[in-house]
Amino acid sequence: MLAPPGASFALFLRSFMSGVILQAINGISLAALLFLLASGFTLTFGLMRVVNMAYGAYYLLGGYIGYSVARRTGSFELAILCGGLTIVVLGFFVDRFLIRPIGHNHLAQVLLTVGVAFVIGEVCLAIWGGDNLRVAIPPWLRGGMELPGGLFYPKYRLALIVLGTSTAILLWLLYHKTHIGAVVRAGVDDREMVNATGINVDRLFALVSALASFLAGLAGVVGGAFLTLNPGAEWDILVLALVVVIVGGLGSLEGAILGSIIVGLLDAYGRWLLPEFSYFVLFGPMAVLLLFRATGIFGKEQ
Amino acid sequence: MTARVLLLVAALAIAAALPSLVGEFWVTLLTQIMIFGLLALSADLLLGHAGLFSLCHAAFFAVAAYTTAILQVRHGVSTALAAPAGILAGTILSFVFAFAVRTRGVYFILITLAFGYIIWGVAYRWASFTGGDNGVTNVPFPAIGGLRVAGPTQYYYVVLVAVVLIALAYRVLITSPFGLTLRGIKSSESRMRSLGYDVGSHLYVAFVLSGLIASIAGVLYVYYNRFINPVAASFPVSLEAVLMAIVGGTGTILGPFLGSGIILVLRNWVSGFFHYYTAVLGIVFIVTVLFAPQGIMGLVARWRAGNRGEGA
Amino acid sequence: MSPAAIAVDHLSKVFGGLRAVDDASLSVASGERRVLIGPNGAGKTTLFNCIAGTLQPTSGRVLLFGDDISRLAENRRAARGMGRTFQISNVFADLTVFENLMLSIIGADGRKWIMHRPVSRFTAERAQALDSLVKVGLADRADETVKFLSYGERRQLELALALNVDPKVLLLDEPCAGLSPSERQRFSQLVAGLPRAITLMMIEHDIDIALALADRVTVLHHGKIILDGTPDEVRANAQVREVYFGRA
Repeated sequence: MLAPPGASFALFLRSFMSGVILQAINGISLAALLFLLASGFTLTFGLMRVVNMAYGAYYLLGGYIGYSVARRTGSFELAILCGGLTIVVLGFFVDRFLIRPIGHNHLAQVLLTVGVAFVIGEVCLAIWGGDNLRVAIPPWLRGGMELPGGLFYPKYRLALIVLGTSTAILLWLLYHKTHIGAVVRAGVDDREMVNATGINVDRLFALVSALASFLAGLAGVVGGAFLTLNPGAEWDILVLALVVVIVGGLGSLEGAILGSIIVGLLDAYGRWLLPEFSYFVLFGPMAVLLLFRATGIFGKEQ
Repeated sequence: MTARVLLLVAALAIAAALPSLVGEFWVTLLTQIMIFGLLALSADLLLGHAGLFSLCHAAFFAVAAYTTAILQVRHGVSTALAAPAGILAGTILSFVFAFAVRTRGVYFILITLAFGYIIWGVAYRWASFTGGDNGVTNVPFPAIGGLRVAGPTQYYYVVLVAVVLIALAYRVLITSPFGLTLRGIKSSESRMRSLGYDVGSHLYVAFVLSGLIASIAGVLYVYYNRFINPVAASFPVSLEAVLMAIVGGTGTILGPFLGSGIILVLRNWVSGFFHYYTAVLGIVFIVTVLFAPQGIMGLVARWRAGNRGEGA
Repeated sequence: MSPAAIAVDHLSKVFGGLRAVDDASLSVASGERRVLIGPNGAGKTTLFNCIAGTLQPTSGRVLLFGDDISRLAENRRAARGMGRTFQISNVFADLTVFENLMLSIIGADGRKWIMHRPVSRFTAERAQALDSLVKVGLADRADETVKFLSYGERRQLELALALNVDPKVLLLDEPCAGLSPSERQRFSQLVAGLPRAITLMMIEHDIDIALALADRVTVLHHGKIILDGTPDEVRANAQVREVYFGRA
């Protein structure tokens, strides 16, 4: 990003500024992707007290399925649908037969769901191999567009920002402004009470879990178009999503939104300015935050 | 009581005689089992006794290993200084990461996971210092004064002695009042507070002690493997350490080593004919959690209680 | 005049929209037996938790023998002589009775940091533990794991734990809850027999036990203190009768 020697300072500054803006958009587009994954993780924790470390694997599997469907049919929309629905089905079985028997023991949940993630990861390796794959971007989202100020930016990433923002708004409205959202919030506070009023809490939680699973699969397809799909990608994305929920506070939708933005921006700027220590840039603020607020920005006391 | 002591002495005798009975393959495998058993033991001090599930122990393990390796290989520092330096480096890191004890439960798990990733990220990306993906190679066998380890068999004995000494010290630690305070915290933190305990400081000290043990395991590892790379700092290593403790039986001394033996023998055996060993590991996780959460030692304890006609 | 053992000064605790404790003030003299009564949800346990330090009050102060301990952490209050038992028996269920007591004995000083000697060699402490077991009637159970004890026995153990910190003030939250009638009798005799050197503050639901044990009674309702008086005054008070027996 340094201007060539002899050039004026103004040119350097202009170049630096466009770098700042470019990385900001990079960060926000990553934030949009992270939100899709982190929102599911944080909601299933907040509502059902379940820590599901297989979300990264759900992302990867959804992405790979979307990749194959897109290749076969050429339809990005179908890819998203198939990717999302597969994970809904898989997530249902994992929830019902593996996670439910162990109750609220977080340690056991972590171990078990990591085991599930390992199995999914190996199945993906066996089917799709070890090469870096990318989901094909639909033609109408290819290429770049010019932003005010003369910056040229990939259309796809901008579309991702739109997707992430609209999902956030939709989820927020659902959670805070609808009857079903109110029931879910009540169920978080007092599951027995809600059950006693005749509402089937189990069915409700299954619905929320299905939504979270769909978002994970969707994220895989959508993310797989600009980040690569490869063995190990499930852990890379999961760690980022975990930092989002740690910073934002487990169980909080607002926290997932804010956390995604913070993590997305830190990741983008970190990679740009301090590539060797980008993990420090990412996790450092998280660690500092924890020293002062052990449950994250919007988290509730345990 | 004496029956157990006799059993342990017999086991030790067998362990000492082993290299003359089996081939080099088993000697190196057993050395590996002991080293990772020690790492599992370090994680279990927190898990089995204080109730904290840490996912960053590979970080201390790796930092100790890298420090010793870099000192020996690039700066020609002798074992007598490089080994303690490695242990010190890993322990200093644990002083920093110990701040995680300000959190509990799932937050503690996630934060230690993230801490582990920081170190892995540094090992991987700060290539100019750590060698990146290639790591540090050609670490010599340890040599102190005139004594030089000449081969895997001699190193097996070095590790055996180290592990036995640490296990004995560990036993003293967990049977001491301090060890009891950890189990009290695990049992009921609120009760401990109302009895006047500053729970945070006890957990902090426990965390650092466990980091110390993990660092020792790291130094033992680097002289065993003679090579270190970022994989040693990775999440699966931390996770496997905890799994070994659980499979073998948390809260015991033998458990982590038993677990290490089972996992490593399984890996060696399975990867011989099945390419997707990690899936098998995943299934071991799932099965253990669902059917044997107290591990092997737990099954043994239940069997003995059943035999004696005691309540469950 | 010596300062009150416990004084609560305009204390309020607010949870979101709920005023669990509303501007409560009371003063317990040294050696006194004070019982807190009130219907369910009146805020008794919340007030206790604020006094003990488990909760931070939204406003107001807590004083121990004249010292303002409002900002002091729970474990520091315990170190200053505040012992407590919990509404649901809170003991170390996976440890043995002796280990439970050992923890209460060594909690006060540096012995809790000893790492080089096994607990089994602390003979003086073991003797002290057996002593407290005799006092609460559990003498022969020292090496049993607590989860095999009956609920009543756990209550007894919990009292022993609280007594071992050498408390000057003891907070008992419904000490007889969950006990059979004969166990209640025995337990309230135990409590009545505690030395006057310890100031007692109790939450009690059974109004008969409460009025029998108390020197003074404080009545809570919807987080507010509605009466502070002798057992006779409370018995005679019309408002209390309405609160407790009124619209039944």
